[in-house]
Order: sequence, then structure tokens, then C-alpha cells
Amino acid sequence: MDIGLPKRVIEIEPASLPVPEPAPILEPSIDPLPEVVPESEPEPVRIPEPTREPAPR
Amino acid sequence: MKAAVSVVHGLPVEVEVEPILAWRSWTLTGRRDGAGLLLRPVTAGSRAWRPREIAQATCRLAWSHEAPNADCSCGLHATREVDLLRRTRCPAVLGRVALWGRVIEHEHGYRAKFAYPQRLRLICQFCFWQGSAAASKPDVVSWYARDLLVPMCVHHLGVAEANGMRPRRILPAGLVDLRLRETYAVDALAI
Repeated sequence: MDIGLPKRVIEIEPASLPVPEPAPILEPSIDPLPEVVPESEPEPVRIPEPTREPAPR
Repeated sequence: MKAAVSVVHGLPVEVEVEPILAWRSWTLTGRRDGAGLLLRPVTAGSRAWRPREIAQATCRLAWSHEAPNADCSCGLHATREVDLLRRTRCPAVLGRVALWGRVIEHEHGYRAKFAYPQRLRLICQFCFWQGSAAASKPDVVSWYARDLLVPMCVHHLGVAEANGMRPRRILPAGLVDLRLRETYAVDALAI
């Protein structure tokens, strides 16, 4: 393909580059959230049985 | 704005802020499912134009000069008129490109340091060679060995098959055209 003889030199410094933004990165860019470990169930609280008051004599 | 005069060739040197828009054609490669599309210069051995990356000119004589150089034919080529591209070898994609950095303007085109496509369209190269760009809309894209993708109209697909160029797979041109524009994040070229 012949584009002919050179005519002039142009130095072009565009204010903004005519190139799209880079493709979004699909991998997570932050550390993954830590695994949530369920706390161990608390020991059941034993409720003391009400003490029976002595019968009046 | 006229800034200086090239000492070597007496070419005027000017400074601009707007990229030049010009015509260019490429060959196209991709996987059998139409993924991994890549624009490649029609000149064998040249570097592919990667999606969302600025194409930058290099020269085999890089040890002696930076591309483009007035004494050489190096640089990213583009033409002023679309019809000049009808003489290129195996064009699959036609487009408008933005050129910037050092650009050497020629009588019928340009050689630039940096470029990126702005609008793209698949073409049937056989229709393009015979007629105008407007009448070269392909119907299918044929997938050949070495991941070569060749857009064709139905008529020229028949001619290709009759001459022993049976594609390994045939893809719908509309799908590949859309995927190409999404890959390079550019608009459709209207002719």
C-alpha cells in the first residue's frame, strides 16, 4: 500500500488519550472476608430449684 | 501551530492537540467459539493490536532510530481515504483509528507512533476488493486453521467452499461483530 511522499511531521499530544479504560478486574481486589466461626454454645445455666420453706410448726 | 523544520528532510514540524482520525484495515484471529478476538496488521510478522491497549510503533532498526522515522517506512500506517485500503491483503476488519504522538503525514495517509481504533466493522474482503466498503457486509465468519477468522457474505462463502476453502466452523457475523466491538470497547463503523 503506497501512501505517497511525506509532507509534514506532526507532534500530537492529546489532552486525553482516545483509549478506553482497562477492563474491570474480575478477581476480588480486597482480601476475602474471614470465615465466620460460630461461637461455642454457652453451657446451660442451671437454675436452682426454689428451696421449699419449712412449714410452720 | 508551526514549531520547527525537520533538519533532515526539510519537512515542516507542527504541534497539535487533537488526534488524527484515519482509515485502517486488519486481519482477525480468534477461537472457534468467537472468543479471544485479536486485530492483527495485514503485514505478516507485525505485532497484534491488543484490546484496551495503546498500539505503539516499533522498528526493526530500533537501534538506529525511533518509529516513525522519515527515512524509513516504519510506524503504524493509516490512510486518508478508505478506497486505498482495497489494495491491502486479506482485510477482515475495517475501522477508523486515532493517531497521535509523532505522526508523519504523507500524500495519501499517515505513519504514527501511537494509535487505537475508534470504530470497527467486519467486511467481506472479496466484496471489498470488488466494490465499495458499503457493499461489503458479511453474513458469516469462517474459522480456519491457526485461528484465522474470515468474514464473508453467503455468496463468497459458496465460492470459497467450491474452491477448496471449506471452513472448519462457521459463526454468525453479527455475533462476532458485536463481540469485537465489546472487546475493543469501540463503536460500530457506519459507512
